[in-house]
Amino acid sequence: MRRPHVTRRQFIEGSAGLWVTAALLPRAASAQGTSVLRVRSYGDIQDFDPAFSKAAPDGDVARCVFRKLIDYKSSTSWEWELDAAADVKQVDPKTVSFTLKSGIKWTNGFGEMTADDVKYSFERIADPATKSPYKGDWATLDKVEVTGPLSGVIHLKEPFAPLWLSTLPWNAGLILCKKAMEASGNRFTTNPPATCGAYLLKEWQPKQETILVRNPDYNGPKPAYDEIRIRPIEDEKTAEIGFAAKELDFTGASVSSLPKLKTDPPAGAKLAIRPSLAYVWLGMNVDVPPFNDVRLRKAVQKAVDVDAILQAAYFGAADRATGIIAPGLLGHRDIKPPPRDLEGAKKLMAEAGKSGGGVKATLAILNKTERLTAAQVIQANLAEIGIEVQIDAHDSGTFWSLGDQSKGDQWKQLHMILQRYTMAPDPSWAVAWFLPSQIGVWNWERWNSPEFDELNKKALVETDAKKRGEMYVRMQDLMEESGAYVFLTHEVAGVIYRDNVAPALMPDGRVILPGFAPKA
Amino acid sequence: MFLFALRRSALACAIIFCAIALLFGMIYIVPGDPASVALGPLATPEIKAAFRAQMGLDQPVTTQFFIFLSHVFTGDLGIDLFSNRRVTEIVFEALPYTIALTASGIGWAIALGVPLGCWSAIHRETWLDRIAGVFAVAAIAVPSFVVALYALLLFAVELNWFPAIGAGARGNLGDQLAHLVLPSFAIGLGWVGYLARLVRASMLEVLGENHIRTARAYGLPERRIVFRYALRLAVLPTVTLLGVGIGNLLSGAVFAEIVFARPGAGKLVFDAVVTRNFPIVSGAVLVTTALFTLCTLASDLLIAWLDPRVRANL
Repeated sequence: MRRPHVTRRQFIEGSAGLWVTAALLPRAASAQGTSVLRVRSYGDIQDFDPAFSKAAPDGDVARCVFRKLIDYKSSTSWEWELDAAADVKQVDPKTVSFTLKSGIKWTNGFGEMTADDVKYSFERIADPATKSPYKGDWATLDKVEVTGPLSGVIHLKEPFAPLWLSTLPWNAGLILCKKAMEASGNRFTTNPPATCGAYLLKEWQPKQETILVRNPDYNGPKPAYDEIRIRPIEDEKTAEIGFAAKELDFTGASVSSLPKLKTDPPAGAKLAIRPSLAYVWLGMNVDVPPFNDVRLRKAVQKAVDVDAILQAAYFGAADRATGIIAPGLLGHRDIKPPPRDLEGAKKLMAEAGKSGGGVKATLAILNKTERLTAAQVIQANLAEIGIEVQIDAHDSGTFWSLGDQSKGDQWKQLHMILQRYTMAPDPSWAVAWFLPSQIGVWNWERWNSPEFDELNKKALVETDAKKRGEMYVRMQDLMEESGAYVFLTHEVAGVIYRDNVAPALMPDGRVILPGFAPKA
Repeated sequence: MFLFALRRSALACAIIFCAIALLFGMIYIVPGDPASVALGPLATPEIKAAFRAQMGLDQPVTTQFFIFLSHVFTGDLGIDLFSNRRVTEIVFEALPYTIALTASGIGWAIALGVPLGCWSAIHRETWLDRIAGVFAVAAIAVPSFVVALYALLLFAVELNWFPAIGAGARGNLGDQLAHLVLPSFAIGLGWVGYLARLVRASMLEVLGENHIRTARAYGLPERRIVFRYALRLAVLPTVTLLGVGIGNLLSGAVFAEIVFARPGAGKLVFDAVVTRNFPIVSGAVLVTTALFTLCTLASDLLIAWLDPRVRANL
């Protein structure tokens, strides 16, 4: 018997043939009849159980496979529309009644969605035994009363203003199948026991792709795409290259790319820029020197050139913030921020007895390009008034525990922090971290204002939008008056998409995937 | 040979143990709280404490280390802090992508580096040899992430010959191979240079030896002398180099995995370190260290089998 013999020439020819085949095959595979939407997500799904979901990518998938009583509209202002509910109304400040649409089917043979499912889903998050980080979303929930197979009443212990903007249309408003959850131990991560949304989770390839296919039993408006493929790509620049290589139909764009994308977008691409809900600020720790002296804090407020930061770090694409609540939201401060006042800053330094300089301070930042650039501008600005700034760049694992008092005394080494939070579209989310109870937890400036605390309590139960808005404006006034905060920006959210795609977006650029449609 | 293999295997086990002990010490020295990262800002201190207790993160480091080791012997690498999935499952999902990437990178190095070095040696001191030398040194000098970016822009964006991102559709071998071309080229190019220089030097040495001169005196064709007698001996040092090179390629794969948005063990470890996801870090590093150690062990055994003088040195 002869051994199979492969000559060198045959090997080279064979290898070349394999690569050529490899290069051609994917093009052949993509030429199929189904309509597929390929979108980039900044991270992979980890856990889209509404009581424990980790990040926005979880929420994006959850919105596709589950339903809520109400959901956000694709719009440039924050509005909601009915989803699973045929009717939902505020009976009085502490009571909300709802009726579900009939015929919403759970997968895996779990029957029709009922008011029992709503009761189970909302009370599960509110139940302290669940240990949900989102318990606060249902902080005032007393109970959900089931009044019929499809109808019920949400009873609150006290009025809760964020209910309509950041509880019911957000993750905490997702409805799970009670029977399926109980059968699977009341917990799932990425394998829900039953779903009911516009799409079904067909396949999850960790770190590579999440594939959703249209749910044939969905009784809402028929989603436009047969299939949605979500690719987790952390790096925005990589995603932009993927878009340019025509492997994505929709992706977020980095701030640094926005000027070029505005003037010279890739062929067949469109750019949309939305105001973000994020808020970026420079905070000062009021409990330790040197910023336990309010004069130094106010000197920093006057000395920091916010416009220069926006030019250097955000390429002029983002506007200056007037507080922590973004434009378009209730409680936004509609004021003109003062220009840089170097002389005023120097005067305050002199009043504090520091006119000779020699003040040293640390500035903690998360190690990201735009933060480092912003920190360098701040460093240069403060050098002009005699404050020598040392920039400490940390990775996320270290950074997010810097101000945590339960971790020891490291908070005492924090002088200044360049910080960025994001929020749901209700002002209560913005202010929650600056309360006295958050000192040493997320209130790293350790600013303690009883008036702020009191206003927060009142604003949570105030149902008159005008009065509530005024309260949040006053709260931001207090923050500024403390000197502990320099409000920088709300950033911007840029997205690029193919011109044959009509994206469905929330006002801040977040995706509503079931609403995406092909455009003729 | 058997005793050599036994001694070398024992050394490999000791290396893996030391690497894990060192890593365990290092990741716990670095400040950071996995509970804060995993649960997000809304978690109360009580919820975070319960999380730490549930995951055993409140135990002393030495206790955690020995618990980890005892679980390793039963094939259990723990539970991912974020997704609650088994670490073994996550690591072995990612590992094949990295192995495929590394093997393809080596494939590029062998396919281009060996012929280039051989060709340079045959045409030594000619302008062709000098051009090949410049190319080889340039290939070594250019960082793999730079190669990756330019390869992406040229072959994926401009020419649209190869896909830019991802690892290809599951079950579609052609698609997966297409997705491998650019990242493997990016990480393998530097090794093309290394191999070309090594093979050239080795070939020059072998071509000057007595048995080659004798073969020429017998009038054997030059082609046969080069490929049948010289090259066989000249490629031996590359076996050792490739054994070590696999380790470098494994660690270098992380750049390709980030730039090309590919899943893989390198990216897995990188993300886990950033988020202080200790079970993933420990599990993935254990597996990749074991893989690297196995590769060097295999190359050592191969060399020892080919050259008996080596066996006496351990």
